[in-house]
Amino acid sequence: MIDRQMVESPDQNQLNLKSFWYGDWAFPIFVAFISAGIFAGTHMYYTFHVGAFNDVAIVAMLAAGMKGGGYGAAAAFGASFLFARILEGSLVGILDIGGSIQTGIGIGIPALMLGAGITAPVQSFPLALITGALLGLITGYIIIGIRKFTVGQSDSTFGADIMMGAGNTSGRFLGPLIILSACTASIPVGVGSVIGAAIFYAWKKPIAGGAILGAMILGAFFPIPIPPIVK
Amino acid sequence: MHFLEILFESIIIGALVGFAVGAGAARMFHAPTVQGMGAFRTLGELNACAGDAASHFSFGLGFFFNAWASVVGAGAFTQDVDHRIIPNWSAAVLLRKGKRPEDTLHDPKKMAIAGAIIGAIVVAFLNSTAAAIPKSLQDVAIQVLVPAANLLINPVMPVIFWLAALDAGKRSGLWGTIFGGAAHLIMGNAVPGVVLGILIGKGVDEAGWSKVTKILLTSVILLFVLSGFFRGFDVNLVKGFHMGIPGWLAELHKMMGLEVKK
Repeated sequence: MIDRQMVESPDQNQLNLKSFWYGDWAFPIFVAFISAGIFAGTHMYYTFHVGAFNDVAIVAMLAAGMKGGGYGAAAAFGASFLFARILEGSLVGILDIGGSIQTGIGIGIPALMLGAGITAPVQSFPLALITGALLGLITGYIIIGIRKFTVGQSDSTFGADIMMGAGNTSGRFLGPLIILSACTASIPVGVGSVIGAAIFYAWKKPIAGGAILGAMILGAFFPIPIPPIVK
Repeated sequence: MHFLEILFESIIIGALVGFAVGAGAARMFHAPTVQGMGAFRTLGELNACAGDAASHFSFGLGFFFNAWASVVGAGAFTQDVDHRIIPNWSAAVLLRKGKRPEDTLHDPKKMAIAGAIIGAIVVAFLNSTAAAIPKSLQDVAIQVLVPAANLLINPVMPVIFWLAALDAGKRSGLWGTIFGGAAHLIMGNAVPGVVLGILIGKGVDEAGWSKVTKILLTSVILLFVLSGFFRGFDVNLVKGFHMGIPGWLAELHKMMGLEVKK
């Protein structure tokens, strides 16, 4: 495989395709590094409620499980993303770390573990690093394995562009949704989020950030009355 | 005490992630010859400001504020830390004094080292400042964010993905609808099903019913059958149609440690 490509693309022959930095064999090591870090990030979220490497919407699924709402949604969502991205990543040559590592290994697999009652890898920092690294190694080797068998057999990108487009569109929904839910929470918080979003928009920043900050600033002075806990 | 623990763990996490993100981003420029990692949008954005350190820096900065707000509010970094902030800031550091992208941004070794340093700093900063924010302030953000996030997960995201599948052609629309519906029934969220539907539909559109697409379809069906079984969907399905649960099915569930309620 490697040899064939070196013959085919002579302009790339200054790249040493067998070296650590460019070779296929090193790819699982890179995936192990990032997976260790991201899995440990989920550990930090589980223990300190900061540091999960993902969007609020996706982390919220894990949080729902932590609050007793069941891990099913997070597990199914994360595991299917991991599966889809591994296939796509090996076929197109670029592994999407958002879907595979951040959502799959960072959210899906911890949710599977927690759902099954296995808490140790998520509770302990060293164990989280080791678990993440192992999962990353496995993922990396699967990708290199699929690559060996399929590259050249298929030209399809498997609709990656469509999914990315849809993913970006959904991200845009978050800003207005935050303002809507802030306005439902209380009048001062709603006003804060509207002003924050407007300022961020004027600064050409994503309005979600401004809406959250505005809601928090006003919420600090005019706390939201604690709603009765509805289960 | 907690603060030091958070700082210590953050530095390790940030360096690990940054190292891999940096190397993966540089490797993307040599894909598909070299297996890269990152995202198509990251590659596009890096290309869009390639060569100009200031553009890379300000692009990252915009997302940095967003990530900061998100981590302070809900403890979640957003995916942009890995997709945008680390790659772009690493590029900005390497490209200062007008160096060529070919010698810096496209070099996995240089990007990995820059990424590790930037990653450690960014993650440590985000986590330690978020942890220093009073709990009451975080509560406000969570009370606002959680309902918004729930709305996004259901029904906004399923609908957007579904419409994208319908617009992407007959096969994607059909498979997306079938698997989307099944996913909502079995997993409670249609998105993974629609995504897999697009994957299959587009795969067949572009490559035909090859070995790869056949394996793909089989594994997707297997994924649904297995997750349906383990979530007890089969039993509920039978019950929903007012039929009796066959003894062997109840036994099978029992064997897996799942008690079936009659």
